[in-house]
Amino acid sequence: MDDLNAIYGRMAEAIVVGDPEAAAGLARRALEDRLDLQDVIEKGYIPGIRRVGLLWESGDYFLPELISSAACMKAAMAVLKPALEASAAVGLSRGRIVIGTIEGDIHDIGKNLVASMLAANAFDVVDLGADVKPDRFIDAAVEARADVIGLSALLTTTMLGQRRVIERLRERGLRDRFKVLVGGAPANRAWAADIGADGYGENALAAVARAGELVAEKRSS
Amino acid sequence: MSPILKILPDGIDLAATEGEGLDDALAKAGIPLSLYCGGRGLCGKCFVEIVRGTLPEAGEDERALAARRRLAPHFRLACRVRIAGDLAVRIPASSLLPRMPVLSQGVERSFALDPAVRKIRLAIPSPALTEPQALFDLVRARFPGEGLTASPDALRSLVRAWAEGGGPAGEITVVLHGGRELLAVEPGDTADRAFGLALDLGTTTVAAELVDLVAGRVMATATALNAQVKFGADVMSRITAAFGDPARAEELRRVLLDSLNALIGSLCESSGVAGREIYEAVVAGNTAMNHLFLGLPVDTLAVAPYFAVFSSIAPVQASESGLKISSAGKVIVAPNLKSFVGGDISAGLAAIDAVHRPGNFLFIDLGTNGELVLKNGSKFTATSTAAGPAFEGMAISCGMLAVPGAVFKAADGKGTAVAVETVGGEPPQGVCGTGLIDLVALALRRGLVSPQGQIRDPSKAIPVADGIVLTQKDIREVQLAAAAVKTGIRMLLEAEGLSIPDLDEVYVAGAFGSYLDLGNAMALGLLPLVAREKIRFIGNSSLAGARAMLLSMAERERCEALAGRIGHESLARGSAFQSLFVDALEFREWS
Repeated sequence: MDDLNAIYGRMAEAIVVGDPEAAAGLARRALEDRLDLQDVIEKGYIPGIRRVGLLWESGDYFLPELISSAACMKAAMAVLKPALEASAAVGLSRGRIVIGTIEGDIHDIGKNLVASMLAANAFDVVDLGADVKPDRFIDAAVEARADVIGLSALLTTTMLGQRRVIERLRERGLRDRFKVLVGGAPANRAWAADIGADGYGENALAAVARAGELVAEKRSS
Repeated sequence: MSPILKILPDGIDLAATEGEGLDDALAKAGIPLSLYCGGRGLCGKCFVEIVRGTLPEAGEDERALAARRRLAPHFRLACRVRIAGDLAVRIPASSLLPRMPVLSQGVERSFALDPAVRKIRLAIPSPALTEPQALFDLVRARFPGEGLTASPDALRSLVRAWAEGGGPAGEITVVLHGGRELLAVEPGDTADRAFGLALDLGTTTVAAELVDLVAGRVMATATALNAQVKFGADVMSRITAAFGDPARAEELRRVLLDSLNALIGSLCESSGVAGREIYEAVVAGNTAMNHLFLGLPVDTLAVAPYFAVFSSIAPVQASESGLKISSAGKVIVAPNLKSFVGGDISAGLAAIDAVHRPGNFLFIDLGTNGELVLKNGSKFTATSTAAGPAFEGMAISCGMLAVPGAVFKAADGKGTAVAVETVGGEPPQGVCGTGLIDLVALALRRGLVSPQGQIRDPSKAIPVADGIVLTQKDIREVQLAAAAVKTGIRMLLEAEGLSIPDLDEVYVAGAFGSYLDLGNAMALGLLPLVAREKIRFIGNSSLAGARAMLLSMAERERCEALAGRIGHESLARGSAFQSLFVDALEFREWS
């Protein structure tokens, strides 16, 4: 057991320090050694990304560290994914989210960060990019059978588009089908409540936490 | 044999052509005479002393002008003299076209005084009963070949001035714009009193110069807070306030005009000039300010693809502009170059005569939007990058504008102390943009902050002065702002296939630049690593450029022409921006 814990610890460490070769190498070793992949993810890599989150919250980590840790997570998952699918292990996905930056807004660094942190935390993410029309969010969510729609806006002028997506959901009779999560520099909790969104993520980590809660709420209702 | 023209005091001998105008011959010799009225013998500014040679006697008008200036009969108007034999002339310094300096720092250059607004005194006799010519035709006859035009308002002022000027001489002063349009007419001789305004519409501060258009001299300068700040500190907040709300946009316009008119009032008062004596204003603001000033919607600047309503606009009638100057006057708006690269930048480029400056250079204006212009050979490309308001002291826990009490400089003090300088020498109350850059660079040098921007001490605070600290979030804001500028510069250079060593000069505009510590700015990666002598801090180049356009039609035309041909580089190209941006977040010198 000690031996396994040491391996998990190295996996977490690879994510924390942002070493993609180590992260992928450890994943390959795990396949060769026929380790339990669910444990590898939940006891190895996920604790790593959680520590990254804590370092972000304490102010020690910033965008580059977050992005490189998310990239390590992606590298490890890419190694594990075919085996996971072949073994028909289900229940690893923590939920499905369609995400994009609102119409009229081309700023997508923040949204990209949220998307990669969601992916790193085992969400299935459909990233629609920037300048996305309201109906495209909805069509994509329907098609992907998403749990959550994530709306990003970086300008006080374009954040109005977040309200428009929610209005379109109502008009199309689909409001109850999806949880709506909003974020971006000008948004805040009061704004989210005002437009009838289900959640607000102040930053990438908060968005991940809130997305998890929204998926749980949706699946229990 | 062609006549010989000897020019004193230089002692140049020149072969002239029989029948040639003396003004033309002197121009060919490279002697720039002041031909204020366009060489029509009306203004009396090109008198030269005839030292040797004989000429036909001067006409009645010329004799009258000489008498008014108490000049002896051998002083003659160069524009009236036809060369008919050997001549020796002495050119008084007062008859030379004055050259005006542009910037007080960074770049030394000057231009020839050539204002659009000119006032010329005329003596208009009463129309005769036998040949009752229209009053305006009598004025027009003095400007042959120009097709002078006048609005009904201008004609009303003509008849008023003519009636008031009275007497058999009928002395009036006409106010011309661009040599073609009669703006107004004043009774008597007021030709020495022609005034103009240069206005810089900054997001935070508005600045104005009252300029004597005859002498080309700045009479007074004043600055004030742009009262629009109550709608928000940075330009995006103004756009947001006006977005989709015409009534609010109109309020923003009114508030801006109030600020400007208060400035005009104080300038006029301190200079003994009446607002109605100001016949032209040149206004230079960023794209949003230019739009708000003209009462144009800024909605298209608010959402992608972020475009302006106009780049260039014809002179605006002063009465429509809301500026308290002569209602007959004109308001010139410095052209917007591309979306967020506005009239402040086109004026700044005019100030350094960008078109004629050789080599490759980068022009940087740091504000909420970092505006960048790159000259590559003869090609100009502009872009803007969202730096955020950190450099204006906003979004920083202890941030403030560069007003009294703001730390604007910081260096090593005794031991671990920090030596700070504040605006006005007052006790430190907060930190403005340049102080912020010094403090972060200092913390980096001392190892208090890692190149990744992490404050190493668990307290997560960097002490500055009593009760003032930089927080971890403050450092992050500086990283974001500096990275946006650095990424903009890198993408612009890359798009043009240039690298840092290819740059001959880097111009840094704005008051911000004047107090910026180069070493510190470079240590953070905000400015590229170039030899110090290549960097030129040019101060408020927007105001200087507005003045250049006010005093020279050639400068104005060049600025308009540049606006028509400048290219644009969008930073929103795929993923290139993001990876460069994330890379640029680390504090380090350019490599």
